[in-house]
Amino acid sequence: MSYVIPKETCSGKVLSPDFGKGSKAVKIGGENALPFHSFDGAIPNKPVIAYEIQDIFPDDWPDTVKNQFSSVSDNAVKWAEYCQNELKAQAIALRLSGTHPDRGDRSPQDAAKTVKDVLAAIEVPLIILGSNHMEKDAAVLVAASEAASGYNCIIGKAQEGNYKTIVAAALAHNHKLIAMSELDINLAKQLNILITQMGFDKERLLTDPMCSALGYGIEYTYSVMERIRLAALMQNDATMQPPILGDVGMYVWKVKETVATEAEMSEWGAVAERGITWEAVTATSMLIAGANLLIMRHPKAVETVNKVVEELV
Amino acid sequence: MIIIGEKISIIAKKVREAMMKRDPLPLQELAERQWKEGANMIDVNIGPAEDGGDELMAWMVRAIQEKVPAPLCLDTTNYEALEAGLKAHNNQWGRPLINSTSNDPERFSILELAAKYNSQIIGLTVGKGGLPADAEERAAIAADIMARAAEYGVPLEDLYLDPLVLQIATSQDHALKVIDAIKMFQEMNDPPMKTVVGLSNISNGCPKNIRPILNKYYFIMLMNAGLTAAIADAQEMTEAIQEKKLVDDVLAGKKIDDANKMAEITKTLDVIMNKTLYAHSYLEM
Amino acid sequence: MALSGVEIFKLLPKTNCKKCGFPTCLAFAMALAQGKVELAKCPDVSEESKKLLGAASAPPIRMFPLGTGDKAAKVGGENVLFRHDKKFINPSVFAINIKDTLSNDELTKKVEEVITSEIDRVGQKLRVDAISIEFASGNAQQYESAVKLISEKAPNTIIILNCKDASAADAAVKIVAARKPLLYCATEENAEAMANIAKTHKVPLGVYADGLAALSSLTEKIKGIGVEDLVIDSGAKNAKGILELNTQVRRSALKKSFKPLGYPIINFVLREDPVLEACIASVAVAKYGSIVVLNSIEKWKNLALFTIRQNIYTDPQVPMQVEQKVYKIGEATENSPLLITTNFSLTYFIVAGEVENSKVPTWLAIMDCEGLSVLTAWAAGKFTAGKIAQFIKESGVENQVKNKELIIPGMVAILSGSVEDKLEGWKVTVGPREANAIPTFLKTRSA
Repeated sequence: MSYVIPKETCSGKVLSPDFGKGSKAVKIGGENALPFHSFDGAIPNKPVIAYEIQDIFPDDWPDTVKNQFSSVSDNAVKWAEYCQNELKAQAIALRLSGTHPDRGDRSPQDAAKTVKDVLAAIEVPLIILGSNHMEKDAAVLVAASEAASGYNCIIGKAQEGNYKTIVAAALAHNHKLIAMSELDINLAKQLNILITQMGFDKERLLTDPMCSALGYGIEYTYSVMERIRLAALMQNDATMQPPILGDVGMYVWKVKETVATEAEMSEWGAVAERGITWEAVTATSMLIAGANLLIMRHPKAVETVNKVVEELV
Repeated sequence: MIIIGEKISIIAKKVREAMMKRDPLPLQELAERQWKEGANMIDVNIGPAEDGGDELMAWMVRAIQEKVPAPLCLDTTNYEALEAGLKAHNNQWGRPLINSTSNDPERFSILELAAKYNSQIIGLTVGKGGLPADAEERAAIAADIMARAAEYGVPLEDLYLDPLVLQIATSQDHALKVIDAIKMFQEMNDPPMKTVVGLSNISNGCPKNIRPILNKYYFIMLMNAGLTAAIADAQEMTEAIQEKKLVDDVLAGKKIDDANKMAEITKTLDVIMNKTLYAHSYLEM
Repeated sequence: MALSGVEIFKLLPKTNCKKCGFPTCLAFAMALAQGKVELAKCPDVSEESKKLLGAASAPPIRMFPLGTGDKAAKVGGENVLFRHDKKFINPSVFAINIKDTLSNDELTKKVEEVITSEIDRVGQKLRVDAISIEFASGNAQQYESAVKLISEKAPNTIIILNCKDASAADAAVKIVAARKPLLYCATEENAEAMANIAKTHKVPLGVYADGLAALSSLTEKIKGIGVEDLVIDSGAKNAKGILELNTQVRRSALKKSFKPLGYPIINFVLREDPVLEACIASVAVAKYGSIVVLNSIEKWKNLALFTIRQNIYTDPQVPMQVEQKVYKIGEATENSPLLITTNFSLTYFIVAGEVENSKVPTWLAIMDCEGLSVLTAWAAGKFTAGKIAQFIKESGVENQVKNKELIIPGMVAILSGSVEDKLEGWKVTVGPREANAIPTFLKTRSA
């Protein structure tokens, strides 16, 4: 029997929004093949990794990752500059954790100022994230969108419970938008429909189907991402064609495997390497499943995943 | 087609309250309404009914059959409650149907009751821990249940195989797998095995306005596959049968006059057949 | 083409003799159709049926065991491309590559690491399954002695004889043939010799060729010699090669029924940087690598790899379950609230996540309901008042909380009265129906 490569051509194509401006702007998505299946079709853009920074000191991060930023993490601007200049970040994700009612309850105006200051200090594109508090995010992200007007940022996350005001803000200030649902492909589609029904262009959307850490439900995220990609490509489902976000770091750096010391768990080995590997393997799996944009924390994990990406394309 | 009216269920608040207060009127009204709407049997779902389930079931059976000359489908996992219901059941209106045995060892002994009281019984093709992945796994479980029914002395003519309809909003790919299972079950015996579904679960979790649409068109597809009986909304099923020709036309690739209806049917069939990903607003797309 | 269960049934004796272990021929036929049992279990099947069924019931990807005893591992037998369609069946085998050039002490130490790699995770024993012994010395005697030493020190571990030299391989196979090692590998140069060794000693054979066209003609040739338990290596080394070629192999076997590639895959990852090695290995695990060969064996790396393998190979139809117990979230004290829900892992992750979001320290009682979600578990009679009361009593949580108040999911509000009746001295409160309302609920209470 002679061998023929079993290629599959797809009728659909992932959308390819750009974010940021000038020479540092980046573009993601655009493929008409399953993740890294370059024998099936074209993969015009590599996945991008954004470094996560916060507007307050990350006292809830485990030492392994907190210590990497100890000289800069008391100040979002310094932190952003460090990621851009020293770590050569392609993009930065500013999480406005300090606006959470339980973590300082900083005002939307405060948050807007931080956004302005960070934007003034960096050239790479910025992702602006709320504190994952449904009501507060609606107010904070509106102020942040306005402060970032003209910078073509990614704003997030709009969820079923608060999407309307956030969508309106992203629309008014020309940003890209993350639509997040909780590990349910049908609700992910529904939210994208609702957002586009408000007049928001699907070409400006990213889907976050909710990330999970290795060992803590990653198989659900993995399969939801794979199914989103299959719907986008094989069924040519336009509502599922926005690129996918994997918000990796925040789910990884709280599980026991990234926190417990070797003294506590001797059969698990060194805690620092374990944490880094946990983040890197989680991120790699998300890429294989279809993520186009990752948000990560540890420089060594980012460096490794970038190597994986170089190998994959 | 046997329609088993689904409305008398503990899930419904009104029914639950009537059950707790032992107020027969709302239950009788519901039973009569379903009977008039075309139900051939009435489902009586009392849930797990841990405490006093036997007394409750017997009371319900009597209350309903007092007003409606129909056989009942006794729906609970509780053995004692089933037995009490079977004892109370008036077989003059037809033989009862037990809902249900399955491949879960906890539910094997329910077959005893079918044999002892000469009742029909539903065999739900699920085992312990985990849902069947496809039609083949459902058929394999069906074969086990069939063998067990024979062991317990329940004739295969009295066994209704239920492939377990799952929610389209969360398990879309199973809609088609259930249709395949219905076809497969029938091939497993000569004369063909009888089949039944809990139909409305297909649209459980969907917005109110699209529930009847999904229920009806899914029912028609199952009918075409040879389904024997459905636990369903009797009113909806009567409507479905009236609309069957339109759906069959669309399935055959014909155009129908009413463009809105055409779109509604086409989009719904695409969702059922897993050609488009389900979303609550799928009809608006 | 595969036959349906009913078609198979028609070819069986229909005696319902039960000798196969199934209650009826129909049940046996259904299991046969799913590849869950072998036709050989039926003692009375006719020769003619055997012929018809033999060809039809051959799985698209061959399945066979490596090793013997309780640490043997099956490879192959896969039926799907995506794990959401149906369970991936046989989890990837992790092998560690050891060169025969190491000193005896070094070899012993490496073997020791493999043997002690076993850990327990979510009730499963996980380990590095195999040792690949590489013929790096070029000296057959040295290889033989390394194989001897390793096989003695690791009497139960699966052995891969990583050796392309036929005469060295022949000598080594003789030492461990009874343990069903994998002989790796036959190439275009040595195919006949290696195939004959594998045939003589009845061991599985690895087949290497550069690219899938060459690989498929080579497997055909070897099959012609009479060796059928093959493991294939396309030469893929980097992540792209592994992902693309493994995908092409799986697609060819499943979608094109292309028999020459219907075998399990071996991937040599082998990196100096262990974090990178872990990442590339996880690509191989997700993308159809049946045997993944690694360079190093750090405990932290093992943990990550065992976990990704376990996660990817989880049955998507069987809800993942968490352990039944009362979980402490935050710095819960005797004054903290007590919530109860079922042990469906997704329910647990989402509820626990929302409790964490609330920042209100809380006790979360997780009850074994066979991994069903709240409403399903209730309907199935697994999350009933009686069972909840019994679980709470037996959990001993009474001694952990001062305020005997149990918060039940809003979905089962109906149970509140009867749980209260069965749990003397307790107050039952109905919590939110949806998890995302938990933070507000908890904060309002604690305010």
